[in-house]
Amino acid sequence: MSHMKELTKGIFRENPTFIIMLGMCPTLGVTTQVFNAFGMGASVLFVLLGSNIFISALRKVIPDSIRIPAYIVVIASFVTIVEMVLHAFVPAVFNALGVYLPLIVVNCIILGRAEAFANKNTVLDSALDAVGMGIGFTLALSLIAAIREIIGNGTITLFNLSETQRFVITIPGLSESPVRVLTLAAGALLVMGYLKAFFTWNSERRAARGGRV
Amino acid sequence: MKQYLKVAFILFAICAVSAILLAAVNQITAPYIEYNTMQTTAAALDAVSGGYTQGEHLEGNGDNINYIVPLYDGDELAGYILELSTSGYGGEIVMAASYRLDGTVISSKVMSDDETPGLGKNAEESWYMAMFEGLGGEGRPLPESKNDLADPSVVSGASVTFAGVSSAIRSGSEYVKSLGR
Repeated sequence: MSHMKELTKGIFRENPTFIIMLGMCPTLGVTTQVFNAFGMGASVLFVLLGSNIFISALRKVIPDSIRIPAYIVVIASFVTIVEMVLHAFVPAVFNALGVYLPLIVVNCIILGRAEAFANKNTVLDSALDAVGMGIGFTLALSLIAAIREIIGNGTITLFNLSETQRFVITIPGLSESPVRVLTLAAGALLVMGYLKAFFTWNSERRAARGGRV
Repeated sequence: MKQYLKVAFILFAICAVSAILLAAVNQITAPYIEYNTMQTTAAALDAVSGGYTQGEHLEGNGDNINYIVPLYDGDELAGYILELSTSGYGGEIVMAASYRLDGTVISSKVMSDDETPGLGKNAEESWYMAMFEGLGGEGRPLPESKNDLADPSVVSGASVTFAGVSSAIRSGSEYVKSLGR
């Protein structure tokens, strides 16, 4: 597979959220605002890139019998570095992401890509896979968050560091009488279900036409 | 046996490198984190002081009140700021709340929390904490549940956070009343 395909496969064809169905907990939990989706997506992208590069570089050193604990140590280290750096230099983003930041350690996308891709491929391909999967995850989160926030709250929060540092687009009509259930946990499952159905239908339609799934 | 030792050494080496890397990053970031925490605390105390002069920090009750700061209007004691700890949905919530001597809430602000963005994290917003302002004194009880609010829908999906915040503010109010004038 060409390097470009390694990069783009995670964005559409093997999107981690809608096709591979990994990382569902943060997907459902953090998508209440578009800004949270950006922050979570960027954090996952950084950790995924770092862990994929390290695990790929060490793939011939790490014995099979201890690969999972070794991967967890590498991933947890990167997550802790992200936490400390954000807390020190961008405390507003650190506060905004809250509990979801440490939970990146157990995000299935990161361990899944380490196990399924990085420990079998070169450093370059693993880095491209991480970038593609990270972008795909960020786009998926942003799409779900946009639907939930627009319909459930009548707003689009693009930037939200504090009450004085925020950029929120208010949608007339919807902001006065939003469908509040979409901001709740049930709404996350509903939106995820409809989007999954749409992407499955689209994949099958393309396959029936003889195109690539 | 040799194989086990080799595997153990590799895992040890990975852990050691990670620990050294984390220690280096911690060495760089720790002073900034400490400074940020002090700034956040000072800003929160200023924000809830209601224009009164802050006195010396005093010890709390050893339970959910971490420390107390007397508020003065000139030389006269006007109230107290309490740093309160409570439990939310995502873990501990630390907040500062100021009270008049009769237990009435002057102002309050969340200083740190791990609540869900968009739901429990709304407690960081000024409109959220404004729901408690002016309450807690004689004949003006603080809300015990979201059903006591004029519009309970504003805390929809975050009942646990609201219960934690309101119980902390109520206990702070009772504590200030117990201090007397």
